[in-house]
Amino acid sequence: MKYYFKLGFILLIFCVVASGILAYVNSLTSPVIAQRKAAEEIQAREALIPNAEFEERQSDQGMIYYVAKAPETGEILGYTFIAADLGYSSTVQTMVGVDSEFKVLGVQIIDQGETPGLGANCTQPIFTNQFSGMTLEDIYVDKDGGVVVSLSGATITSRCIANSLREGIIDVKDEPGLGGDQ
Amino acid sequence: MGYLGEIFVMAMTAIFIQNFVLARFLGLCPYLGVSKKLDSALGMGLAVIFVMTLASAITFLINKYLLIRYDLMYLQTIAFILTIAALVQFVEMVIQKNAPALYNSLGVFLPLITTNCAVLGVAILNTTAFRPDGVTPYNFLDSVLNGFFSGVGFTVVLLAMAGLRMRLEKAELPKSMQGMPIALIIAGIMALAFYGFMGFKI
Amino acid sequence: MNFIKELSKGLIKENPIFVLVLGMCPTLAVTTSVVNALGMGFAATFVLLCSNIIISMIKNVTPSKIRIPVYIVVIASFVSIVDMVMAAYLPALHKNLGLFIPLIVVNCIILGRAEAFASKNNVIMSIADALGMGLGFTLSLSLVGSVREIIGAGTWLGFKVTPLTYDPMLVAILAPGAFISLGFLMALMNMLKEKK
Repeated sequence: MKYYFKLGFILLIFCVVASGILAYVNSLTSPVIAQRKAAEEIQAREALIPNAEFEERQSDQGMIYYVAKAPETGEILGYTFIAADLGYSSTVQTMVGVDSEFKVLGVQIIDQGETPGLGANCTQPIFTNQFSGMTLEDIYVDKDGGVVVSLSGATITSRCIANSLREGIIDVKDEPGLGGDQ
Repeated sequence: MGYLGEIFVMAMTAIFIQNFVLARFLGLCPYLGVSKKLDSALGMGLAVIFVMTLASAITFLINKYLLIRYDLMYLQTIAFILTIAALVQFVEMVIQKNAPALYNSLGVFLPLITTNCAVLGVAILNTTAFRPDGVTPYNFLDSVLNGFFSGVGFTVVLLAMAGLRMRLEKAELPKSMQGMPIALIIAGIMALAFYGFMGFKI
Repeated sequence: MNFIKELSKGLIKENPIFVLVLGMCPTLAVTTSVVNALGMGFAATFVLLCSNIIISMIKNVTPSKIRIPVYIVVIASFVSIVDMVMAAYLPALHKNLGLFIPLIVVNCIILGRAEAFASKNNVIMSIADALGMGLGFTLSLSLVGSVREIIGAGTWLGFKVTPLTYDPMLVAILAPGAFISLGFLMALMNMLKEKK
């Protein structure tokens, strides 16, 4: 019995030492990771709506979105948000920028894990650029009667991006004081 | 779509559309190593289903109530692999004591399962997976079911492979193709066949 | 002399992928491009090297009954370190390799070398063994990755290498192509070995 306690104790020592080392490495790397992620988001936002000041808000549905205002006049230039939906094998996150009329200014895929060679092509400009200038009614993939040309062999990925975009835009549009319909 | 419908979708996805072996490349060592005979393939498959289901349950609880609560996500890998190793050891002891007949048929495969990446793979995937709506993370039942169905998916292709390889022994092949190379090529053709399920709208 | 022998055996005679057929999961999953293959190879080599060093150093203080759990703790720690460092400084590669970084823990090559070599030999020999095996693994991965990237995308390390008229066969990058490419490469290796 005593022998087994000794074994357990040795194993425990190894685990404690390992956890200590990992905690130390984590304390070094986690701020770098967080910083990089934040910097990437800011960069993506500023690429979509340049020369604007961003104000963080939360929609009724709980989605974080940013209102882009002209620095001096305070005029609303547009909105940016991150749309997310389940694609073929991962959650695809898209940074979306729309103007004050809710017309798409541009999109950028910021996170995806789709099949290389098929769905993963969604990050390429040839796919993302087509969204610029689209309005809410346009953003359906061609198979669903819209104008979004889906990636060959990756309809599911394309549809998920289109759908998440549309839902995000509706979400922002429904916000009190912003909606185009009122 | 009710919850039963969601479960059906999850089962079809895990078994056919995103098969663990052929689409996710997990659990390849046993898939290529233990697929020479049909009965040992069945034994391995059942043992994997059993361990994957149990491991999904336990790692879910550890992840939610220890790692996330105390902000210890960086210990995930080490915690999961130790849990799985301990679980396999424990299962082996229990089966050996209470069900010797079962132990005789499954026992030899159990130690191999610790290093089967499908088990650790499903445990990690469960923590990052989402329900069909794309925002809700898996709950306890989802994780357990996903573990079970992924194990079933593994077993289905393992059995199919074993059946094919038994026939293959009688085939005349160039010497350099015998054994592993032809097994890999057959796996490739099987993966092509499974691509037929891709894009199924359920 | 011995050092070089241990170092070179992993490259050809005991090549982990083509001869020992170990570590199949990353071999097939991350070889969609040469960059991913190299990233995976170096990550695994680093883990293998560090864990071999530590395990050969502690081999006298670990009771044999709990040696496997101890090895797993050591390996898992280094894997987690690689995971965190890569996420911080090489985010794109980290994203591509994804799930397969934590899965280095269950890569049979690493636990296999710990049990078969590092637990019986001294530190210097274990370093040689780890470097040889790791380089053998990395080279084999890049070979599979090169074949798949050239056939499937027409590029090598991202540069266009095929004539403009060549239409890449996408299937080589997809899952079926992984199995088939590795199958034919392995058959080729067998053929070369027979000729000798």
